[in-house]
Amino acid sequence: MKIKQSLLEYIDNVKNGSFTCEEFVLETLEQIEKHEEILHSYISINNKAIEDAKNIDKKIKSGEAGSFYGAPISIKDNICIKNSKTTCASRILEDFVAPYDATVITRLKNQDALFIGKNNLDEFAMGLTTEFSSFGPSRNPWNSEYVPGGSSGGSAVAVSALECLASLGSDTGGSVRNPASFCSVVGYKPSYGLISRYGLISYANSIEQIGPLTRTVKDTAFLLNTIAGLDENDNTTIDNHNDDYLAEIDHGIEGKKIGIIKQMMGEGTSKEVVDATNEAISKLEKQGAQIQDINLETVDYSVAAYYTITATEAGSNLARYDNLRYGYDFPLEGYEFNSYISKARKKFGPEVTRRMILGGFVPSAGYAGRYFLKAMKVKNKLTREVNEAFKKVDLLISPTVPVQPFKIGEKIEDPIALFLVDFNTVTANLTGKPAISVPFKVTNGLPIGIQLMAEHNEDKFLLQAAYSLEKDTKLPEVPL
Amino acid sequence: MVTAEEIEKVAKLMRIEMDDHAEYIERVKKMLGYFDLLDKANVESEEIDFTIMPIENLRKDEFIPYDEKLIEKLKNYKGTYVRAPKMV
Repeated sequence: MKIKQSLLEYIDNVKNGSFTCEEFVLETLEQIEKHEEILHSYISINNKAIEDAKNIDKKIKSGEAGSFYGAPISIKDNICIKNSKTTCASRILEDFVAPYDATVITRLKNQDALFIGKNNLDEFAMGLTTEFSSFGPSRNPWNSEYVPGGSSGGSAVAVSALECLASLGSDTGGSVRNPASFCSVVGYKPSYGLISRYGLISYANSIEQIGPLTRTVKDTAFLLNTIAGLDENDNTTIDNHNDDYLAEIDHGIEGKKIGIIKQMMGEGTSKEVVDATNEAISKLEKQGAQIQDINLETVDYSVAAYYTITATEAGSNLARYDNLRYGYDFPLEGYEFNSYISKARKKFGPEVTRRMILGGFVPSAGYAGRYFLKAMKVKNKLTREVNEAFKKVDLLISPTVPVQPFKIGEKIEDPIALFLVDFNTVTANLTGKPAISVPFKVTNGLPIGIQLMAEHNEDKFLLQAAYSLEKDTKLPEVPL
Repeated sequence: MVTAEEIEKVAKLMRIEMDDHAEYIERVKKMLGYFDLLDKANVESEEIDFTIMPIENLRKDEFIPYDEKLIEKLKNYKGTYVRAPKMV
Protein backbone atom coordinates (compact mmCIF):
# COMPACT_ATOMS: atom_id res chain seq x y z
CA MET A 1 0.00 0.00 0.00
CA LYS A 2 1.69 3.16 -1.23
CA ILE A 3 -0.44 5.59 0.73
CA LYS A 4 0.82 4.43 4.13
CA GLN A 5 3.71 6.89 4.36
CA SER A 6 4.63 10.36 5.45
CA LEU A 7 4.75 13.44 3.24
CA LEU A 8 8.56 13.45 3.24
CA GLU A 9 8.70 9.73 2.41
CA TYR A 10 6.33 10.35 -0.51
CA ILE A 11 8.60 13.08 -1.85
CA ASP A 12 11.66 10.81 -1.65
CA ASN A 13 9.80 7.98 -3.36
CA VAL A 14 8.43 10.09 -6.20
CA LYS A 15 11.82 11.73 -6.69
CA ASN A 16 13.62 8.40 -7.01
CA GLY A 17 10.93 6.95 -9.28
CA SER A 18 9.46 4.31 -6.91
CA PHE A 19 6.03 5.41 -8.16
CA THR A 20 4.45 8.32 -9.96
CA CYS A 21 2.32 11.10 -8.55
CA GLU A 22 -0.59 9.79 -10.65
CA GLU A 23 -0.31 6.28 -9.15
CA PHE A 24 -0.26 7.70 -5.66
CA VAL A 25 -3.21 10.01 -6.29
CA LEU A 26 -5.22 7.14 -7.79
CA GLU A 27 -4.64 5.06 -4.67
CA THR A 28 -5.54 8.01 -2.46
CA LEU A 29 -8.81 8.51 -4.34
CA GLU A 30 -9.59 4.78 -3.98
CA GLN A 31 -8.99 5.06 -0.24
CA ILE A 32 -11.32 8.06 -0.04
CA GLU A 33 -14.02 6.21 -1.98
CA LYS A 34 -13.67 3.17 0.26
CA HIS A 35 -14.05 5.02 3.56
CA GLU A 36 -15.88 8.24 2.80
CA GLU A 37 -19.39 6.93 3.32
CA ILE A 38 -18.61 6.24 6.98
CA LEU A 39 -15.88 8.73 7.83
CA HIS A 40 -17.21 11.73 5.85
CA SER A 41 -13.99 13.69 6.08
CA TYR A 42 -14.53 15.55 2.80
CA ILE A 43 -17.14 18.04 1.62
CA SER A 44 -15.84 18.07 -1.95
CA ILE A 45 -13.22 16.22 -3.96
CA ASN A 46 -11.07 17.77 -6.68
CA ASN A 47 -12.50 16.24 -9.87
CA LYS A 48 -9.37 17.21 -11.75
CA ALA A 49 -6.99 15.53 -9.31
CA ILE A 50 -5.81 12.87 -11.79
CA GLU A 51 -5.32 15.46 -14.54
CA ASP A 52 -3.37 17.62 -12.07
CA ALA A 53 -1.26 14.60 -11.10
CA LYS A 54 -0.45 13.85 -14.75
CA ASN A 55 0.67 17.44 -15.27
CA ILE A 56 2.89 17.30 -12.21
CA ASP A 57 4.38 13.98 -13.38
CA LYS A 58 5.39 15.77 -16.59
CA LYS A 59 7.08 18.47 -14.54
CA ILE A 60 8.85 15.83 -12.43
CA LYS A 61 10.17 14.18 -15.60
CA SER A 62 11.49 17.46 -16.93
CA GLY A 63 13.03 18.34 -13.56
CA GLU A 64 10.78 21.37 -13.03
CA ALA A 65 8.58 20.16 -10.18
CA GLY A 66 8.26 22.19 -7.00
CA SER A 67 9.24 20.83 -3.59
CA PHE A 68 5.90 19.04 -2.96
CA TYR A 69 6.10 16.85 -6.11
CA GLY A 70 2.32 16.62 -6.36
CA ALA A 71 1.75 15.45 -2.78
CA PRO A 72 -2.02 15.24 -2.20
CA ILE A 73 -2.94 17.77 0.47
CA SER A 74 -6.47 18.37 1.74
CA ILE A 75 -7.76 21.76 2.82
CA LYS A 76 -10.33 22.65 5.47
CA ASP A 77 -13.35 24.08 3.70
CA ASN A 78 -12.98 27.53 5.24
CA ILE A 79 -9.81 28.28 3.27
CA CYS A 80 -10.31 29.70 -0.22
CA ILE A 81 -9.09 27.93 -3.34
CA LYS A 82 -9.85 29.91 -6.48
CA ASN A 83 -12.76 28.54 -8.53
CA SER A 84 -13.53 25.89 -5.88
CA LYS A 85 -16.49 25.77 -3.59
CA THR A 86 -15.70 27.05 -0.09
CA THR A 87 -18.72 26.29 2.07
CA CYS A 88 -17.50 26.58 5.68
CA ALA A 89 -19.83 23.55 6.12
CA SER A 90 -22.71 26.01 6.06
CA ARG A 91 -25.88 25.99 3.99
CA ILE A 92 -25.56 29.76 3.64
CA LEU A 93 -22.34 29.31 1.62
CA GLU A 94 -23.19 26.00 -0.05
CA ASP A 95 -22.89 27.52 -3.55
CA PHE A 96 -20.06 29.96 -2.85
CA VAL A 97 -17.14 29.63 -5.27
CA ALA A 98 -14.01 31.44 -4.08
CA PRO A 99 -12.79 34.07 -6.55
CA TYR A 100 -9.22 34.03 -5.23
CA ASP A 101 -6.60 31.83 -3.55
CA ALA A 102 -5.65 32.13 0.10
CA THR A 103 -1.96 32.96 0.53
CA VAL A 104 -1.24 29.47 1.89
CA ILE A 105 -2.82 28.02 -1.26
CA THR A 106 -0.78 30.25 -3.57
CA ARG A 107 2.40 29.21 -1.79
CA LEU A 108 1.55 25.51 -1.94
CA LYS A 109 0.51 25.76 -5.61
CA ASN A 110 3.87 27.37 -6.39
CA GLN A 111 5.54 24.28 -4.92
CA ASP A 112 3.31 21.82 -6.83
CA ALA A 113 1.19 20.55 -3.96
CA LEU A 114 -1.94 18.83 -5.26
CA PHE A 115 -5.25 19.73 -3.63
CA ILE A 116 -7.19 16.51 -3.32
CA GLY A 117 -10.32 17.95 -1.68
CA LYS A 118 -11.95 20.22 0.87
CA ASN A 119 -12.50 18.89 4.39
CA ASN A 120 -15.54 18.83 6.62
CA LEU A 121 -15.65 21.07 9.71
CA ASP A 122 -18.04 22.43 12.29
CA GLU A 123 -20.03 25.17 10.58
CA PHE A 124 -17.80 28.27 10.35
CA ALA A 125 -15.31 26.39 12.59
CA MET A 126 -17.61 26.81 15.59
CA GLY A 127 -17.41 23.54 17.45
CA LEU A 128 -15.00 20.88 18.57
CA THR A 129 -16.53 17.62 17.41
CA THR A 130 -17.48 18.27 13.72
CA GLU A 131 -21.05 17.43 14.76
CA PHE A 132 -22.10 21.00 13.91
CA SER A 133 -21.33 20.61 10.19
CA SER A 134 -24.45 21.31 8.11
CA PHE A 135 -23.42 18.40 5.90
CA GLY A 136 -23.31 15.79 8.68
CA PRO A 137 -20.61 14.79 11.14
CA SER A 138 -17.23 13.26 10.38
CA ARG A 139 -16.39 10.08 12.27
CA ASN A 140 -13.24 8.99 14.07
CA PRO A 141 -11.29 6.38 12.06
CA TRP A 142 -10.16 4.72 15.32
CA ASN A 143 -13.79 3.99 16.16
CA SER A 144 -16.55 5.35 13.96
CA GLU A 145 -18.97 5.61 16.89
CA TYR A 146 -16.76 8.38 18.30
CA VAL A 147 -16.22 12.03 17.39
CA PRO A 148 -12.99 12.91 15.57
CA GLY A 149 -12.73 16.26 17.37
CA GLY A 150 -13.08 19.59 15.67
CA SER A 151 -13.48 21.95 14.23
CA SER A 152 -10.86 20.68 11.75
CA GLY A 153 -12.25 17.17 12.22
CA GLY A 154 -12.40 16.35 8.51
CA SER A 155 -8.74 17.29 8.11
CA ALA A 156 -7.62 15.10 11.02
CA VAL A 157 -9.71 12.15 9.81
CA ALA A 158 -8.34 12.46 6.27
CA VAL A 159 -4.70 12.44 7.49
CA SER A 160 -5.31 9.62 9.96
CA ALA A 161 -7.28 7.47 7.49
CA LEU A 162 -4.63 7.81 4.74
CA GLU A 163 -6.98 9.88 2.57
CA CYS A 164 -4.27 12.52 2.00
CA LEU A 165 -0.67 13.09 3.07
CA ALA A 166 -1.29 16.25 5.06
CA SER A 167 -3.96 18.84 5.59
CA LEU A 168 -4.41 22.49 6.50
CA GLY A 169 -6.92 23.36 9.21
CA SER A 170 -7.56 26.44 11.29
CA ASP A 171 -7.15 26.76 15.04
CA THR A 172 -9.17 29.34 16.98
CA GLY A 173 -9.29 27.60 20.36
CA GLY A 174 -7.78 24.21 19.62
CA SER A 175 -9.47 23.36 16.33
CA VAL A 176 -6.30 21.83 14.87
CA ARG A 177 -4.82 20.33 18.05
CA ASN A 178 -8.03 18.82 19.43
CA PRO A 179 -8.88 16.67 16.35
CA ALA A 180 -5.18 15.86 15.93
CA SER A 181 -5.22 14.44 19.46
CA PHE A 182 -8.48 12.54 18.90
CA CYS A 183 -7.29 11.02 15.59
CA SER A 184 -3.62 10.38 16.50
CA VAL A 185 -1.96 12.83 14.11
CA VAL A 186 0.27 15.86 14.60
CA GLY A 187 -1.60 19.19 14.85
CA TYR A 188 0.15 22.55 14.88
CA LYS A 189 -1.05 25.98 16.00
CA PRO A 190 1.70 28.42 15.02
CA SER A 191 2.66 31.65 16.76
CA TYR A 192 0.04 34.28 16.01
CA GLY A 193 1.11 35.90 12.75
CA LEU A 194 3.44 33.16 11.53
CA ILE A 195 1.03 31.99 8.81
CA SER A 196 -1.02 34.41 6.74
CA ARG A 197 -4.79 34.36 7.33
CA TYR A 198 -5.51 35.94 3.95
CA GLY A 199 -8.16 33.74 2.37
CA LEU A 200 -9.19 32.08 5.62
CA ILE A 201 -12.86 32.85 6.16
CA SER A 202 -12.90 34.87 9.35
CA TYR A 203 -14.37 33.64 12.61
CA ALA A 204 -12.31 35.33 15.35
CA ASN A 205 -9.48 37.20 13.66
CA SER A 206 -7.57 38.25 16.76
CA ILE A 207 -6.72 34.70 17.79
CA GLU A 208 -7.24 32.26 14.90
CA GLN A 209 -4.46 30.80 12.79
CA ILE A 210 -4.15 28.34 9.91
CA GLY A 211 -2.21 25.24 10.99
CA PRO A 212 -1.00 21.97 9.48
CA LEU A 213 -2.14 18.44 10.38
CA THR A 214 0.35 15.77 9.41
CA ARG A 215 1.48 12.24 10.22
CA THR A 216 4.88 13.34 11.55
CA VAL A 217 6.48 16.38 13.17
CA LYS A 218 8.97 16.57 10.30
CA ASP A 219 6.11 16.86 7.82
CA THR A 220 4.74 19.81 9.79
CA ALA A 221 8.18 21.48 9.72
CA PHE A 222 8.38 20.88 5.97
CA LEU A 223 4.95 22.43 5.40
CA LEU A 224 5.84 25.46 7.53
CA ASN A 225 8.91 26.08 5.36
CA THR A 226 6.53 26.79 2.49
CA ILE A 227 3.54 28.49 4.09
CA ALA A 228 5.01 30.57 6.95
CA GLY A 229 6.25 34.13 6.81
CA LEU A 230 5.33 37.70 5.94
CA ASP A 231 2.41 38.40 3.63
CA GLU A 232 1.49 41.87 2.46
CA ASN A 233 -2.15 40.77 2.33
CA ASP A 234 -2.20 40.12 6.09
CA ASN A 235 -0.53 42.84 8.14
CA THR A 236 -0.63 40.71 11.29
CA THR A 237 2.00 38.37 9.81
CA ILE A 238 5.45 38.32 11.38
CA ASP A 239 8.87 38.08 9.77
CA ASN A 240 10.27 34.59 10.38
CA HIS A 241 13.46 35.44 8.43
CA ASN A 242 12.82 32.42 6.21
CA ASP A 243 13.58 30.08 9.08
CA ASP A 244 14.23 26.47 8.05
CA TYR A 245 12.04 24.52 10.47
CA LEU A 246 13.30 21.15 9.28
CA ALA A 247 16.99 21.92 9.76
CA GLU A 248 18.29 20.79 13.19
CA ILE A 249 14.93 19.26 14.06
CA ASP A 250 16.82 16.49 15.87
CA HIS A 251 18.58 19.04 18.09
CA GLY A 252 17.20 17.37 21.21
CA ILE A 253 15.79 18.61 24.47
CA GLU A 254 18.76 18.13 26.81
CA GLY A 255 19.08 20.83 29.44
CA LYS A 256 15.75 22.44 28.54
CA LYS A 257 13.30 23.29 31.28
CA ILE A 258 9.74 22.05 30.94
CA GLY A 259 6.84 23.24 33.07
CA ILE A 260 3.81 21.06 33.76
CA ILE A 261 0.72 23.26 33.82
CA LYS A 262 -0.83 22.27 37.14
CA GLN A 263 -4.36 23.42 36.25
CA MET A 264 -4.39 21.14 33.17
CA MET A 265 -3.63 17.95 35.10
CA GLY A 266 -6.27 18.18 37.80
CA GLU A 267 -10.02 17.84 38.12
CA GLY A 268 -11.74 17.12 34.82
CA THR A 269 -8.77 15.27 33.32
CA SER A 270 -9.30 11.54 32.91
CA LYS A 271 -6.94 9.06 34.59
CA GLU A 272 -5.91 7.60 31.23
CA VAL A 273 -4.97 11.05 29.96
CA VAL A 274 -3.05 11.96 33.14
CA ASP A 275 -1.14 8.65 32.98
CA ALA A 276 -0.21 9.19 29.33
CA THR A 277 0.96 12.75 30.07
CA ASN A 278 3.12 11.54 32.96
CA GLU A 279 4.67 8.97 30.61
CA ALA A 280 5.43 11.71 28.09
CA ILE A 281 7.02 13.83 30.82
CA SER A 282 9.20 10.88 31.89
CA LYS A 283 10.26 10.34 28.31
CA LEU A 284 11.40 13.95 27.95
CA GLU A 285 13.11 13.80 31.37
CA LYS A 286 15.08 10.75 30.25
CA GLN A 287 16.29 12.80 27.28
CA GLY A 288 17.76 15.36 29.66
CA ALA A 289 14.90 17.83 30.17
CA GLN A 290 14.38 19.35 33.63
CA ILE A 291 10.80 19.20 34.84
CA GLN A 292 8.96 21.52 37.23
CA ASP A 293 5.37 22.45 38.05
CA ILE A 294 3.96 25.74 36.79
CA ASN A 295 0.94 27.48 38.24
CA LEU A 296 -1.21 29.44 35.78
CA GLU A 297 -4.15 30.57 37.94
CA THR A 298 -5.98 32.46 35.20
CA VAL A 299 -6.31 29.30 33.09
CA ASP A 300 -9.44 28.55 35.15
CA TYR A 301 -11.16 31.55 33.50
CA SER A 302 -9.66 31.11 30.05
CA VAL A 303 -12.55 29.17 28.49
CA ALA A 304 -15.13 31.76 29.58
CA ALA A 305 -12.90 34.56 28.24
CA TYR A 306 -12.26 32.67 25.02
CA TYR A 307 -15.94 32.09 24.23
CA THR A 308 -16.84 35.69 25.11
CA ILE A 309 -14.17 37.13 22.80
CA THR A 310 -14.76 34.70 19.93
CA ALA A 311 -18.55 35.13 20.06
CA THR A 312 -18.10 38.90 19.86
CA GLU A 313 -15.79 38.66 16.85
CA ALA A 314 -18.02 36.04 15.23
CA GLY A 315 -21.08 38.27 15.64
CA SER A 316 -19.26 40.99 13.74
CA ASN A 317 -17.67 38.73 11.08
CA LEU A 318 -20.89 36.90 10.29
CA ALA A 319 -22.89 40.12 9.89
CA ARG A 320 -21.67 40.17 6.26
CA TYR A 321 -23.79 37.14 5.36
CA ASP A 322 -26.91 38.89 4.18
CA ASN A 323 -27.28 36.69 1.05
CA LEU A 324 -27.03 39.77 -1.19
CA ARG A 325 -23.42 39.64 -2.27
CA TYR A 326 -22.85 35.91 -1.79
CA GLY A 327 -25.08 33.14 -0.63
CA TYR A 328 -27.66 30.74 -1.95
CA ASP A 329 -30.68 30.91 -4.28
CA PHE A 330 -33.39 32.75 -2.41
CA PRO A 331 -35.53 35.15 -4.46
CA LEU A 332 -35.60 38.81 -3.47
CA GLU A 333 -39.16 39.44 -4.55
CA GLY A 334 -41.86 39.86 -1.92
CA TYR A 335 -39.57 40.82 0.94
CA GLU A 336 -38.76 44.08 2.62
CA PHE A 337 -34.97 44.63 2.97
CA ASN A 338 -34.58 43.70 6.65
CA SER A 339 -37.05 40.83 6.63
CA TYR A 340 -35.27 39.36 3.58
CA ILE A 341 -31.94 39.31 5.43
CA SER A 342 -33.48 37.80 8.57
CA LYS A 343 -35.17 35.09 6.51
CA ALA A 344 -32.03 34.38 4.47
CA ARG A 345 -29.93 34.08 7.63
CA LYS A 346 -32.11 31.24 8.84
CA LYS A 347 -29.78 29.00 6.82
CA PHE A 348 -27.22 29.30 9.61
CA GLY A 349 -27.12 26.19 11.76
CA PRO A 350 -28.12 26.18 15.45
CA GLU A 351 -24.63 26.51 16.96
CA VAL A 352 -23.68 29.43 14.72
CA THR A 353 -27.00 31.09 15.51
CA ARG A 354 -26.43 30.69 19.25
CA ARG A 355 -22.93 32.12 19.03
CA MET A 356 -24.13 35.07 16.98
CA ILE A 357 -26.75 35.83 19.61
CA LEU A 358 -24.05 35.60 22.27
CA GLY A 359 -21.82 37.76 20.11
CA GLY A 360 -24.48 40.43 19.98
CA PHE A 361 -25.17 40.21 23.67
CA VAL A 362 -21.79 40.18 25.44
CA PRO A 363 -20.43 43.45 24.01
CA SER A 364 -23.81 45.27 24.12
CA ALA A 365 -24.52 48.40 26.17
CA GLY A 366 -25.07 47.45 29.79
CA TYR A 367 -23.31 44.10 29.45
CA ALA A 368 -19.92 44.90 27.86
CA GLY A 369 -18.32 45.61 31.25
CA ARG A 370 -19.66 42.41 32.72
CA TYR A 371 -18.61 40.15 29.85
CA PHE A 372 -16.49 41.43 26.98
CA LEU A 373 -14.23 43.90 28.79
CA LYS A 374 -13.70 41.44 31.63
CA ALA A 375 -12.81 38.73 29.10
CA MET A 376 -10.25 41.05 27.51
CA LYS A 377 -8.75 41.68 30.95
CA VAL A 378 -8.55 37.93 31.60
CA LYS A 379 -6.75 37.58 28.26
CA ASN A 380 -4.22 40.20 29.40
CA LYS A 381 -3.69 38.63 32.79
CA LEU A 382 -3.28 35.18 31.29
CA THR A 383 -0.73 36.48 28.78
CA ARG A 384 1.26 38.06 31.60
CA GLU A 385 1.19 34.83 33.61
CA VAL A 386 2.32 32.77 30.63
CA ASN A 387 5.09 35.29 29.82
CA GLU A 388 6.28 35.03 33.43
CA ALA A 389 6.23 31.23 33.15
CA PHE A 390 8.46 31.40 30.09
CA LYS A 391 11.05 33.27 32.14
CA LYS A 392 11.33 30.11 34.28
CA VAL A 393 10.92 27.37 31.66
CA ASP A 394 11.46 26.85 27.93
CA LEU A 395 8.34 24.80 27.30
CA LEU A 396 4.97 24.08 28.82
CA ILE A 397 3.43 20.62 28.70
CA SER A 398 -0.12 19.34 29.23
CA PRO A 399 -2.55 16.87 27.73
CA THR A 400 -3.95 18.33 24.51
CA VAL A 401 -7.51 17.48 25.58
CA PRO A 402 -8.53 16.52 29.13
CA VAL A 403 -10.46 13.49 27.87
CA GLN A 404 -10.24 10.88 25.13
CA PRO A 405 -12.66 10.96 22.17
CA PHE A 406 -16.28 10.53 23.26
CA LYS A 407 -19.28 9.08 21.47
CA ILE A 408 -21.09 11.03 18.77
CA GLY A 409 -24.04 12.80 20.39
CA GLU A 410 -22.72 12.29 23.93
CA LYS A 411 -22.05 15.97 24.73
CA ILE A 412 -23.96 17.78 21.98
CA GLU A 413 -26.81 18.81 24.27
CA ASP A 414 -24.54 20.15 27.00
CA PRO A 415 -22.77 23.37 25.90
CA ILE A 416 -20.73 23.67 29.10
CA ALA A 417 -19.38 20.11 28.83
CA LEU A 418 -18.36 20.96 25.26
CA PHE A 419 -16.75 24.24 26.36
CA LEU A 420 -14.56 22.37 28.83
CA VAL A 421 -13.11 20.10 26.15
CA ASP A 422 -11.23 23.27 25.04
CA PHE A 423 -9.80 23.84 28.53
CA ASN A 424 -6.17 22.99 27.65
CA THR A 425 -5.99 24.48 24.19
CA VAL A 426 -7.44 28.01 24.39
CA THR A 427 -4.49 29.40 26.40
CA ALA A 428 -2.18 29.23 23.36
CA ASN A 429 -4.74 31.12 21.27
CA LEU A 430 -5.48 33.80 23.84
CA THR A 431 -1.76 34.43 24.38
CA GLY A 432 -0.63 34.02 20.74
CA LYS A 433 1.88 31.28 21.63
CA PRO A 434 2.69 28.35 19.34
CA ALA A 435 1.47 24.93 20.48
CA ILE A 436 1.53 21.43 19.05
CA SER A 437 -0.31 18.19 19.70
CA VAL A 438 1.88 15.11 19.34
CA PRO A 439 0.22 11.67 19.16
CA PHE A 440 1.58 9.74 22.12
CA LYS A 441 -0.61 6.84 23.18
CA VAL A 442 -3.63 4.73 22.28
CA THR A 443 -5.57 3.54 25.34
CA ASN A 444 -8.71 1.39 25.09
CA GLY A 445 -8.48 1.77 21.32
CA LEU A 446 -8.65 5.58 21.40
CA PRO A 447 -5.79 8.07 20.93
CA ILE A 448 -4.28 10.53 23.39
CA GLY A 449 -2.20 13.53 22.29
CA ILE A 450 0.27 15.59 24.30
CA GLN A 451 0.46 19.35 23.97
CA LEU A 452 3.69 21.34 24.05
CA MET A 453 3.66 25.13 24.07
CA ALA A 454 6.57 27.56 23.58
CA GLU A 455 7.25 31.28 23.66
CA HIS A 456 5.97 33.41 20.77
CA ASN A 457 8.07 33.03 17.61
CA GLU A 458 9.94 30.02 19.06
CA ASP A 459 8.25 27.73 16.56
CA LYS A 460 11.49 26.13 15.44
CA PHE A 461 12.42 25.20 18.99
CA LEU A 462 8.89 23.89 19.64
CA LEU A 463 9.16 21.56 16.64
CA GLN A 464 12.53 20.29 17.89
CA ALA A 465 10.94 19.47 21.25
CA ALA A 466 7.94 17.83 19.58
CA TYR A 467 10.28 15.72 17.48
CA SER A 468 12.04 14.58 20.68
CA LEU A 469 8.70 13.50 22.10
CA GLU A 470 7.60 11.77 18.90
CA LYS A 471 10.91 9.94 18.33
CA ASP A 472 10.75 6.22 19.15
CA THR A 473 7.08 6.42 20.18
CA LYS A 474 5.43 3.23 18.94
CA LEU A 475 1.75 3.58 18.14
CA PRO A 476 -0.65 1.03 16.67
CA GLU A 477 -1.89 1.49 13.12
CA VAL A 478 -5.30 3.03 12.58
CA PRO A 479 -7.75 0.08 12.43
CA LEU A 480 -9.29 0.67 9.01
CA MET B 1 -30.07 37.62 35.37
CA VAL B 2 -30.46 37.78 31.62
CA THR B 3 -34.06 37.67 30.46
CA ALA B 4 -35.61 35.98 27.46
CA GLU B 5 -36.81 39.40 26.23
CA GLU B 6 -33.26 40.75 26.20
CA ILE B 7 -32.00 37.79 24.21
CA GLU B 8 -34.87 38.10 21.75
CA LYS B 9 -34.11 41.80 21.31
CA VAL B 10 -30.44 41.12 20.58
CA ALA B 11 -31.37 38.34 18.13
CA LYS B 12 -33.64 40.76 16.28
CA LEU B 13 -30.87 43.38 16.10
CA MET B 14 -28.52 40.71 14.75
CA ARG B 15 -31.18 39.88 12.12
CA ILE B 16 -31.65 36.37 13.40
CA GLU B 17 -35.10 34.88 13.14
CA MET B 18 -35.69 32.06 15.59
CA ASP B 19 -38.28 29.34 15.13
CA ASP B 20 -37.88 27.68 18.47
CA HIS B 21 -37.32 30.57 20.87
CA ALA B 22 -37.37 28.43 24.00
CA GLU B 23 -34.60 26.07 22.88
CA TYR B 24 -32.26 28.87 21.82
CA ILE B 25 -32.93 31.05 24.81
CA GLU B 26 -32.39 28.26 27.30
CA ARG B 27 -29.08 27.30 25.77
CA VAL B 28 -27.84 30.87 25.38
CA LYS B 29 -28.78 31.54 29.01
CA LYS B 30 -26.78 28.49 30.05
CA MET B 31 -23.77 29.76 28.11
CA LEU B 32 -24.08 33.25 29.63
CA GLY B 33 -24.40 31.62 33.04
CA TYR B 34 -21.02 30.00 32.48
CA PHE B 35 -19.51 33.35 31.46
CA ASP B 36 -20.43 34.66 34.94
CA LEU B 37 -17.31 32.80 36.04
CA LEU B 38 -15.45 35.88 34.80
CA ASP B 39 -16.70 37.71 37.91
CA LYS B 40 -14.35 35.58 40.02
CA ALA B 41 -11.26 36.24 37.90
CA ASN B 42 -10.15 39.21 40.01
CA VAL B 43 -9.25 41.40 37.06
CA GLU B 44 -10.85 44.71 38.11
CA SER B 45 -7.49 46.50 38.27
CA GLU B 46 -6.28 44.96 35.02
CA GLU B 47 -5.69 47.20 31.99
CA ILE B 48 -6.62 46.15 28.48
CA ASP B 49 -3.79 46.16 25.95
CA PHE B 50 -4.87 46.69 22.39
CA THR B 51 -2.54 45.66 19.60
CA ILE B 52 -1.90 48.66 17.40
CA MET B 53 -0.71 47.73 13.94
CA PRO B 54 1.75 50.21 12.43
CA ILE B 55 0.31 51.66 9.22
CA GLU B 56 3.64 51.45 7.41
CA ASN B 57 3.07 47.69 7.27
CA LEU B 58 -0.05 48.10 5.16
CA ARG B 59 0.21 47.07 1.53
CA LYS B 60 0.19 49.79 -1.10
CA ASP B 61 -3.26 50.90 -2.18
CA GLU B 62 -2.79 49.74 -5.76
CA PHE B 63 -5.21 48.54 -8.38
CA ILE B 64 -4.71 44.82 -8.97
CA PRO B 65 -6.16 43.66 -12.28
CA TYR B 66 -8.72 40.86 -11.95
CA ASP B 67 -9.25 38.73 -15.03
CA GLU B 68 -12.94 38.00 -14.41
CA LYS B 69 -16.06 40.06 -13.72
CA LEU B 70 -16.57 39.75 -10.00
CA ILE B 71 -20.14 41.05 -10.22
CA GLU B 72 -21.10 38.01 -12.31
CA LYS B 73 -20.28 35.80 -9.35
CA LEU B 74 -23.19 37.32 -7.42
CA LYS B 75 -26.63 35.77 -7.27
CA ASN B 76 -28.47 39.03 -7.86
CA TYR B 77 -27.11 41.92 -9.86
CA LYS B 78 -28.16 44.33 -12.56
CA GLY B 79 -25.46 45.96 -14.67
CA THR B 80 -22.82 46.98 -12.19
CA TYR B 81 -25.18 47.09 -9.20
CA VAL B 82 -25.96 44.53 -6.50
CA ARG B 83 -29.71 43.88 -6.46
CA ALA B 84 -31.35 44.04 -3.05
CA PRO B 85 -34.93 43.85 -1.79
CA LYS B 86 -36.94 47.05 -1.62
CA MET B 87 -36.61 49.29 1.40
CA VAL B 88 -40.15 50.16 2.37
